[in-house]
Amino acid sequence: MEGRLSKVQIVLNEEELKKIEELFGEFLAESEARDIVLLNKSGELLAKSGDITSDVAQNISALAAGVFSATNELARLLGEKEFTITFHQGQETNIHISLITQNALLAMIFDNKLPIGAIRFWAKKTGTEIKPIIEQAEKRAESQTQKVINEDVEKDIEDLF
Amino acid sequence: MSTINFAKREISFKIVYYGPAMSGKTTNLRYIYTTIPEKVKGDFTSIATETERTLFFDFLPLELGSIKGFTIRLSLYTVPGQYIYKLTRKSVLRATDGIVFVADSQIEKKQENIDSFQDMIENLIEFGENVETMPIILQYNKRDLPNILSIEELQQDLNKDNKYQYFEAIAQEGINVIETLKAVTKLVVQKA
Repeated sequence: MEGRLSKVQIVLNEEELKKIEELFGEFLAESEARDIVLLNKSGELLAKSGDITSDVAQNISALAAGVFSATNELARLLGEKEFTITFHQGQETNIHISLITQNALLAMIFDNKLPIGAIRFWAKKTGTEIKPIIEQAEKRAESQTQKVINEDVEKDIEDLF
Repeated sequence: MSTINFAKREISFKIVYYGPAMSGKTTNLRYIYTTIPEKVKGDFTSIATETERTLFFDFLPLELGSIKGFTIRLSLYTVPGQYIYKLTRKSVLRATDGIVFVADSQIEKKQENIDSFQDMIENLIEFGENVETMPIILQYNKRDLPNILSIEELQQDLNKDNKYQYFEAIAQEGINVIETLKAVTKLVVQKA
């Protein structure tokens, strides 16, 4: 079951992305988070908010998904199905990574001003708010049987390199 | 798991370079990084030990350009080849869209190639992936070394039914590195 679900794509349309970015903007202001990054289990960046650049957000996505995936192997070794949260605490910065749907992960980066309880609260609240949007996108992707790129792309790919 | 972003008209794919220890997976990525810098978006990230052996993974994000109005983005990963990192390797393979299996052509690596390939297939099955339809390209690396297996032997070990396209490569000199990447890109894009 898990295998089948892990293959579900996330197809975000313009409206959904806009909504997510709006919500991120609100939560960023309210929670005093520094950056918010939405990614999938493959480590691909879906959306971001804050001062962070796309390139850095992309790298964070790859590493956060890697950490998350490794943590889940750890979970399995301990007889746990899955750890849904990982948290890293530094001198100046904290990062909270949580699983919000079968495929989407939310990474929130905070300064050290906020207590851990508040970080957990805001991460949970943000995750809960955007969950229905992501689930809707996952559902649509699941029912989408039509290929995105239908034509023969062999020559096009040759030209890309 | 490819991601389609209709808002930005982007499709992202994850490609994993798999294979036994020291077969040249990181070398492939380093070559790509230095050869097509204009397509690299972000940093080449390597989580390695002090002796430059891959501990967790290497990561290289590329933006190739656009096809039929969609920007094609690739995230290239390598796995750690050493035996002790079996579970780390498995975790990197999760949710991949395509695989380049980098085999070491040296005679003494024969069994390691076979074991690593088998390990990869077992992991894919465990993830519930369809092994028959997973895009896989083989790269027989280190063809310049003196003591190597013949292509027939490598094919017999890893590609008996000739199911996968293969390339003879010398990754250190960049020979057939980009061709391998091109071939796997074709497979993953056609599957999207």
